[in-house]
Formats: sequence, structure tokens, C-alpha cells
Amino acid sequence: MLLIHCPYCKETLPESEFTYAGQAHIVRPEMPSEQTDAQWEEFLFLRANPKGPHYERWRHFHGCGRFFNAVRDTVSDKFLTTYPANTPKPDLESLIGDAE
Amino acid sequence: MSSYRVAGKGRVDTGKPVDFTFDGKTYQGGVGDTVASALLAHGEHLMGRSFKYHRPRGAVAAGSEEPNALIGTRRGPGRFEPNTRATMQEIWPGLETQSQNKFPSLKFDVGAVNDAAYMMFSAGFYYKTFMWPRSFWDKVYEPFIRQAAGLGVSPTEEDPDHYASRYLHCDVLIVGTGPAGLAAAKVAAQDGLKVVIVDEHSEAGGTLLSEPQAKIDGTPAWDWLSATLAELKATGVKVMTRTTAIGYYHQNFVGLCERVTDHLSALPDDTPRERMWRVRAKRVILAQGALEKPLVFHGNDRPGVMLAGSAQTYLNRFGVLVGKSPAVITSHDSAWFAAFDLADSGAKVQVIADTRAEVDADLIAGAKSRGIPVKLSHTVTATSGRLRVKSVRLNPVDGGSVGAGSNVTCDALLMSGGWTPSLHLFSHTKGSLTWDTDLTTFLPNETPEDCIIAGASRGLWGIEAALKDGVTAGEQTLDALDRAASGTHSYAVENDRAGTGVTHKELLTDKSPGKAKAFVDYQNDVTAKDLRLAVREGMRSIEHVKRYTTNGMATDQGKMSNINGLNIAADALGKPQPKVGLTTFRPPYTPTTFGAFAGYHRGEHFEVTRKTQIDGWARENGAVFEPVGQWSRAWYFPKPGEDMETAVRRECVTTRNSVGIFDASTLGKIEVKGPDAVEFMNRMYTNPWTKLGIGRCRYGLLLGDDGFIRDDGVIGRFGQDLFHVTTTTGGAARVLNMMEDYLQTEWPDLNVWLTSTTENWSTIALNGPNAARLLAPLVEGIDINDEDFQHMSCAEVTVAGMPARLFRLSFTGEIGFEINVPAPMGRQLWEALWAAGQAYDITAYGTETMHVLRAEKGYIIVGQDTDGTVTPQDCGMGWAIGKAKPDFVGKRGLMRPDLVAKGRKHLVGLLTEDDSKLEEGAQIVFDPNQPKPMTMVGHVTSSYQSDAVGQPIALALVAGGHDKMGETVYIPMPDRTIKAKITSTVFLDPENTRLKIAKES
Amino acid sequence: MLHPVSQHQPGVLVASVAAQVSLCAPVARLSLRAKGDVTPLTGAFGVSLPSGIGTCAETDRLSAVRLGPDEWLMKAEVDDLPAILSAGERLYDTLPHSLVDVSGREVTLELSGPKVLDLLTLGMARDPEMIPVGDARRLNFDGVTVLLWRKAEDRFEMDIWHSFAPHILSLLKTGVAELAAEV
Ligand SMILES: [Zn+2]
Repeated sequence: MLLIHCPYCKETLPESEFTYAGQAHIVRPEMPSEQTDAQWEEFLFLRANPKGPHYERWRHFHGCGRFFNAVRDTVSDKFLTTYPANTPKPDLESLIGDAE
Repeated sequence: MSSYRVAGKGRVDTGKPVDFTFDGKTYQGGVGDTVASALLAHGEHLMGRSFKYHRPRGAVAAGSEEPNALIGTRRGPGRFEPNTRATMQEIWPGLETQSQNKFPSLKFDVGAVNDAAYMMFSAGFYYKTFMWPRSFWDKVYEPFIRQAAGLGVSPTEEDPDHYASRYLHCDVLIVGTGPAGLAAAKVAAQDGLKVVIVDEHSEAGGTLLSEPQAKIDGTPAWDWLSATLAELKATGVKVMTRTTAIGYYHQNFVGLCERVTDHLSALPDDTPRERMWRVRAKRVILAQGALEKPLVFHGNDRPGVMLAGSAQTYLNRFGVLVGKSPAVITSHDSAWFAAFDLADSGAKVQVIADTRAEVDADLIAGAKSRGIPVKLSHTVTATSGRLRVKSVRLNPVDGGSVGAGSNVTCDALLMSGGWTPSLHLFSHTKGSLTWDTDLTTFLPNETPEDCIIAGASRGLWGIEAALKDGVTAGEQTLDALDRAASGTHSYAVENDRAGTGVTHKELLTDKSPGKAKAFVDYQNDVTAKDLRLAVREGMRSIEHVKRYTTNGMATDQGKMSNINGLNIAADALGKPQPKVGLTTFRPPYTPTTFGAFAGYHRGEHFEVTRKTQIDGWARENGAVFEPVGQWSRAWYFPKPGEDMETAVRRECVTTRNSVGIFDASTLGKIEVKGPDAVEFMNRMYTNPWTKLGIGRCRYGLLLGDDGFIRDDGVIGRFGQDLFHVTTTTGGAARVLNMMEDYLQTEWPDLNVWLTSTTENWSTIALNGPNAARLLAPLVEGIDINDEDFQHMSCAEVTVAGMPARLFRLSFTGEIGFEINVPAPMGRQLWEALWAAGQAYDITAYGTETMHVLRAEKGYIIVGQDTDGTVTPQDCGMGWAIGKAKPDFVGKRGLMRPDLVAKGRKHLVGLLTEDDSKLEEGAQIVFDPNQPKPMTMVGHVTSSYQSDAVGQPIALALVAGGHDKMGETVYIPMPDRTIKAKITSTVFLDPENTRLKIAKES
Repeated sequence: MLHPVSQHQPGVLVASVAAQVSLCAPVARLSLRAKGDVTPLTGAFGVSLPSGIGTCAETDRLSAVRLGPDEWLMKAEVDDLPAILSAGERLYDTLPHSLVDVSGREVTLELSGPKVLDLLTLGMARDPEMIPVGDARRLNFDGVTVLLWRKAEDRFEMDIWHSFAPHILSLLKTGVAELAAEV
């Protein structure tokens, strides 16, 4: 069971309090009806599957209830960082540097 | 005293005799004995039969790595466990044990013909032997394999024991109570630090229990041990014995299985048999020691052939001589010490044969002083003895060639092929290993976890080295916790036995290698020949060799066989060992009961079961329940003598003719409140909400952004900024999660909040032509009629004196109400309505009747009539879509090419031609005469008997169904093909006349 | 076991030398959601809304805990409920918020005794010792979301939605007996 830092509660807590919520930084278009089929397909279905750092979303489901973002290395299963929803992607280079 | 017990040796209290049985015969041991040590004390080596060849086997080890001596243990009805290691099971008065894999008896076993058919069972035999002919599989091969395969027998009765689990948080977890672990614990034990040290054995001490000759700082090892344990406990260290660290998971999460009662004769009340500890440690120290390797030679599996270190343990810890005239074959110094200990306790050691040409002069002198013959540069080529070793054939080796052998009579053969660091838990951490050429073994390298590995588990032999390494591990651990070690810890050990040795593949033999039965994996009966055959047949990776031969795949996970197997495979491949690689160790470290994993989650507590406030009434009134999501819901209410069909038909008829009462409390409820509530509702649901008046409610349909139906429910507006949303029972949590997701991450600017009120309300539905008549007198605050409270209205009122949110809606096609009262008042309201309903012959109905009544009206159940690929149009519910809205979740999705394509499956009604009831899930075809496999064009989603319609009804998804009204489709069943006509989904009262409340005259 | 737990009389449900579980008397419960500066609500409810997630504030008639960035839960005397609701209502136009009466939603069990921390380890993956006295946390207990208030070193209150209460209580009963057997 992983430990996950909730950026709202500011505590590092057991994974069993959290739920996974898919890839992060996929923004729902302001006006979906103006999207082409290809754009909409991209938004709806196409997801990254990286070997290594992955931007993803979690929800502190049993705690504060907030959705937040995380960078998790899919190889080591380690969280490089977590940060609030609606904040920009952290710089990957510096994160990997921190982890090493 | 039993004849192999040595007076004054060991830690077993023979003054406290313990009687137990093995295969029906009673044996006596003492407190502190294991089944294996107690049997060995009686000279019994034969403890089981092997898995594949049913060869006689005895204990080869003294710990949890034991591959052979697996027994069944019994403690009265229901308490039988197979595959217990006799070397770990402590005896207690009345314990019943039995050997395994034998028929009819342990000493005479007919399955041993497999042994004669050895050639047939070589590597990959499953893959080869049972391939052909195909027809033999069911009748011959599979029954044979089932008979032959599997260790022991499964228990047949329900386990009456209780199992427990706890979380444990600590600063330092130390695995292993040998010298390294204890030394680390002494350093780490500080005020304010929570330190836990665990050991799988019944007492702490590890190697120290087998080496009483050592003196630590002048103190005899056992005195040092008891003083150290007392000191650790006094400083608050949690010392846990009979506790196996079974797995090491991410971020220092370690599973410990504690055996709480398996050693007790009387089971204490309220005490679990086993407890799983889920430990989260800031730092972990692994000090699991090393495991001795067997030597691989023909006949190395005969009862009485045993690891030398284990023989030493049986003597020193248990006071048992494993033989009175043992022989020794070794490639490592440690076996010499074992031989000396046995000799000093009265055994006549027949010979010490060493594969090496040179050994330390002190060892030679030690043998000489004890009168033990020594043979250097020797190999062993055979053993004899049917049920126990009687002699061993030793041959000189000169320049790689094996000379003529001579037999040495013996009653036990002690062997040592050197030691392998125990890297199991380290490997669970994805720790990397490095090959050490000198030690011919893998050593731990780096781990991503906050963990240190110490002592023999990183290849340091001897007590002093282990103690010192434990100190270092303790200091490094304190350092990592930003603590300073107090004082200095240093150790000097006398009579230490740090030795050296060499490692072999299978020993040289004078036999034809194809005939040698030199076992590598005892538990799976894998020989050196099998491994070489696997390589010859093309296996290159150790993972392939493992699977082809099953080497290391038994319940011992190759604790004794992996390195020997690797050495042989590497030799066969002509590659160095690290190029061939080691197979992966996976949790659990030792076999673990299902009970320990399940913990409290069995029986009534198996999983969360949610119950409504009406549950008690339903139980008292004979309801039959069904699980719906996590809920236990009343399914139907049979009267005495009624079966389900009769009860459901009565409930349906009574509701349609008069009135029925239904517990709808499980419906999800969400309070949507805030200035942007209506905007939020417009964005979430397909329907338009702006014009919904306060005091009115509307059916809402929720899609995903892919355009498929996710949920539905009736939503009432209780204020300009306040909606009372209902969801399906199963969808409640999912819908709230989805809404929160959009609100938090897509529309954080909206000023609206969601509060789950599912459990705040008990919700009771009244339906039927008499529903209004029943309810009206109980309601204060509004008049129940078509003018003041028309269909699809809602209001805050008082019902039977209770504050209520009242909805007028219908999921049955009858006049219907849903009354929400604060949850704890639910039963009170139910009983008030029930009492008032007696005048109308009211019936309570359950979920089955609810399903029938709604199906008669063609109302969908999300998740039954839809499956995540169904759009509103597919269901004929295009009317629920607010087309004028600029956007809602799913609007763009509904325009996707696939969703507007022709030929999609549509929800339709089906009426069978022969009035038979269809099976839900049955497949539908257009042409029953087409060749098989037929093209399936849909399936039945719902199907019920319907008295109101007068014949069975069904809902079905059928390709292009909306354009095929009146056409016939076919439902092929195993015994016949059923014809059905496509109809509207609304079978009853399409004009909704039954919803009107008649004016009371 | 009798269902539902709310139908029991307040008082001790199960006890041993290790720990005891009691049912608390019903209280008014309110879920408060608001964004931005919530100071005006402080005046309305007579308690200064706590700022750190998991921290609490208390008066003699009301206790409040912050559960999330925009979420508080208040427990109050039953009689005070209408006054609190109307105080919120008065502020709604100037400080839009959601104040929902959820008094009917849950029960509160009081857990106490010398082994109460061990009792909690039966069901929660978090370390109960890390919850400071006076704080509260919403967390997962044996698969169920509960709100756990640490009232004293060895006394907790657990708010549980009604339908989950029998499941939780059954585990606590097992634990109370199991821990007593260890003493
Ligand atoms: Zn949180």
C-alpha cells in the first residue's frame, strides 16, 4: 500500500483513503460542441501510458474529498510530487533531480 | 527419555511431557519441541512422501525452509490444516498429525510406482506426456494429475477459528532475532522510538539457539540472549515471536503473520488463531540470516539425509541426536562443527567426507581428537536404505575423475553445500542483487526502500560478524531517523564458527548421469537431470527452466533449491550464473492461510453490508433479501406458503388494485445548493432545469461525456438555489464522485456545493390507486390532490407528525409518493403508513415487484436495461434532452459518428408468441434458420410475468429495434427457439390515466 | 445484532477491561460549505470556524471541524438547530454558502479505554496516534468513511452513517473482546 501526500490536508496518508482518477491535465474544452470529431476523440479517449513519470489525478476520497494531481513514476511506483488541481504541471527535470 | 534425546542438551523441557499423535501413533515430546524434533527424538526420520514420485522423505531442515516434512495437523472438527511444516509446528497435548501423499500407509505407498516410472516424469512431463491423444484428457490424464498433484488434502469443513488483523506503525522494524537483529535492536532501542523485532520461530535467538558454545563478551550465548531480550523488552521494544514477515511492500509496508494459538492445547476465548499485522515502518532492518544448501547427489533425499546445520540445531536447541552413527559429507567448514557437536554428545561419527582437497588444520585436528575418520577430496555417489539411510557410498575424486567407492554404514547423513543469504524480503523490495564469485551466491545490492540488510543475509558468516553488522545497521538506522546512537556497541565472540567453503553444482558421480536421482528441489521432485534436460530442450532463461522443470515453484519457493538449480543450469548453458539470472522471490515468504489474509472479513463481516432503517421491520415480516450494491434490500415479502413467484404476483396485483408500500431509502440523495445550482444542474443533466418551478420535480438523465447513460433519478426543486437530487441505489457514490469531479476540476468557478444526504433520509414509497387516499389524512401543510399537488410535485410538509420532504412521482404508473423523513424516523413512518394502510389491504413490496411494475411501464433500470453503451435515443428517451442548452455532459458525445449511426441497438418491448417468459440475457436473432454461429442482434435485458398485461413481458436491446415495431425476432434456447414480437416498451396505460387522483365525492 | 444502531438507547454498547464503545445521544449535525472569507459565518454561529483541515473549534454548545478546503461540519445541541439554520439563511445573500441539516445521517460512537488506540488499529490504516487530541479526521475505517474525533488521549468519537454502523460496530465488538483477552 502506497503512501500519498494530500496537498490539501498536508498529510502523507495510506493509499486506502484515496481513489485513482485517471490522467491529469486533460482539460474539458470550453465549448465541446465546437470540437471536431478528432479533437473530441483525443479529449475523450486518448491517454498517455508512459514508462516513468506520469501526470495523474487522485482523489482524497475518504478524507477531504478533493481531487488533486500527482506525478508518479510508473516503474518504481513512487510519487515524485502531488499538487492541487488547477495548478500548472511541475517541472519534471527538477522533480527527478529531487528524487535522486 | 526417548532414545535419541540427549540429557542436559537443548532447550526442550522434557520434564513437562507432551503427548501427541503422528499417523495415529502416540509420541511423547517435551515443551519446546516441534513435531519434527519430537519424532526425531524417537528415531523417526520418515515423515512424508514426496509429491511426484511418492518417495519416502524425512525432515531435511529444522526451520521454515523445510521442503519434505509436511504434515496435516488436526484439532477437532473443522480444524484441519494440510502442508504444515513439521519443523515449525510446536507440539501440544492432544495434537493430531498425519503424513501426506501416502496410500495406503506412509511406509508402504502404491504411488511410489511413479518412482519406478522416473523416466516418464522428467522435466516438462506435463507438457509432453499429456498432449496426445486429445480424447485421453478428460478420462485419463486429468483424473491422474488431480490424484497425483497437490500437496496434502484440502480441509472439508468450515474453519471455526477467528482471524484478526491490525495495523502497526513503528519507527524501526527488525526482521530476525539472530545476533544481527538483536544487536541492531539494542542500538535502535531508544526512548521515544518505537522498535519492533519479529521472528518466525517460537523463541527468539536465531543462530544463537543452535550455538550455545559461543561466548559473547565472555557471557555464554544463551545467557547473553536472555539478558538481551529482557533488556529490549524493558526499553519498550516489541518482541514478537511465531511471527513471520511474509511480504515487503511499497514504502516499508510489511506484512507479518502471527500464529497466536497453534501451539496451545486449550484455545483461549476471544483469541484469534492468527493475526495479520500490516506494519508501516519508517525504517526496516532485514536480518533473516542464511539458509544452508543441500549437496546434490544420487540418493540425497533419503530419510536421514539432513542438512548439517539442522542436525546441529536439533542437538543444541532440541537436545536430539538425529543419528547415533552419522556420516558427514560437506563442502563447507560448518558441517565439521556440527559433526563435532554430535560427537561430543555421544554420537559415533562414522566419517567426515569433504569435497575439498584442503581444509583448515584445526578442523582436521578436531576430527582427529574425537576419533572421527576424515576423507578429503571425496564425493558421495549413492545412499542406501529404504525408509531411512543405512549407508553412504563415498568415492575419492582425483583430477575430476571419480575413483572406486566404498560404503560407510551410518544412520544419518549430514550434508552441507554452504550457505545462501536469505534474500526473500529484500527481493520483494525490488532490491538489486550482485553475484559474489567467491561465495558463489547473490548478495544484496541496492533497494529503493528505506531498508538495511544485515548479517548473514548479506553474506557475513559467524556470530561476531553478524553482531557487528547489526550494530552498524542500528547506527545507520538511527542516523536516518536523525537520532544519535547512545554509547558504543562492540562485541567480541569466543568459539565463533565463521567458516568457509566451496559451492558445487551436482556432485561428481560414477553413475550414468541419466540414472542419477540427485534432487535439487525436494518438494517438487526436481533432479539435476531435469534441469539439464530443460536446457538441452532449449530453455535459456532461468525463468523458463523454472517453469519447465517446476524447480523452485513449490510452497517453499525454492529456499533450498534456487542457487543449486541456478548453478546447474548455468553450467549446462555454459554461462556464468549472473548471466542466467535468479528467479524472482514473491510474497508470501512462507505459505500463509487464507484465514490470515481474510482477517475479520468472513461470515457476517465478509464485506460491508448496508441496511436501512426499515430492515428490522422487513426481517420481522419475513422478507427475503437481495444484495444491491453494498445494500441488503428486501426482495419480496412471502406470506406463509408462498414461493417467490406467488408473492411477487400478489404484491404486484395488490399495488395495482389498491396500494403498496416500498422502502426506497437506498436511493442516492444529493443536496445541490448555491447560487449556481441551476447552472450546475443544466451542465450535469441532459434535461433543462431553468424553468423547473420551485415545488416541482423532474426526471433527470445523467450521461458521461461519451454520451452514454450513467444514471437517472427524479430531482426536486425546493428553492431557487436548492435541488434535491436522487440517484440510483448503486450509482449514488459514483454520481457524487462524478459531480464533484466536474465541479472541482472543470467548473471551480461555480458557487454551488454538493452534500450527500442519502443517509439523512429514510425514503418510503407509496404506490397504487389508494395511495393518495391513504396518505392525505396524514399530511399537514398541503392538500393531496391534482390541483394542489399535481403529479411531479414536491414539498416540505409534515407526515404523521414527522418533518418530511414529500414527492409526488411514480415509478409504477400508479399514483405514487415518496416520503422522505429524517432517517431515524423511518421505521416510525413506515409503521404509521402500514397501520393506515390496513384499511386498504396494503401490501409491502420488495425490489422484485418494483422491477415488474416499472417494466410494465417501460421505465428503465440503469445498469440492467443499459450497460454503459446505451444512449438516451437508444432508449427512446430523446425527450429528456435539453437540445437548446449550449452544453451538458454528454451533449458533444451524442454527436459522435458511432452514436448517430444507423443500426444501433434500441430498447424495445418483446411479447412472446407462446406466452413463455424469456430469460434475461438471452440472445436474439433475426433469422432462426441461418447457419451457426448465428448473428446475434441483441439480448433480453428484463423479463417478468405480468398479470397486469396478461402475459409475460420483456425489454430487450435489438439492433434497429425502433424501426422494427411489430416484427418478429427469435430467441434460440437450448431446447427450442422462441418467437417474439417487437413492441413499445410501454405495456400498460400509455396515456398515464392511472396517475390521476380522482376527486373524492 | 439489532438494526439499526440508532434505535439503541444512548449508553454503553460493549465494554471490556481493554476498551468500551458507547452510543452518544443524538445531536444536531450541519454540513457547511463555503468559499473565500468565512469570517461572517463565525459571527453567525458563535464559533470561529477552524482553519486547518482536521482542526476543531468548540463552544459549550457547538463543535466544528474543518473537513476540506470549503467544508466544515458542526455538531450542536438539537434545540439550537433552527437558530443556526436561520443565522445561515440571513447571511446567504452576502456570503453564498451551503448549510445542510444532516442530523438524520449518522450516529456517533464513543470509543474509550486503555486500549482504545489498539482498537482503532483493527480498522484504520492511518496511525491513530498521529491525530492530535482536539483534532478530528475523516478517514477510511474498515472500508467505510467515518469522521473520527480525538476527544482525549484515550477517548475518541466516531461519526458513522447509519447504514454502515452495524458493520463498524461488529468489528469494534470483536476488537473489544479480543483486546481484553490479551490483557
Ligand atoms: Zn486531503
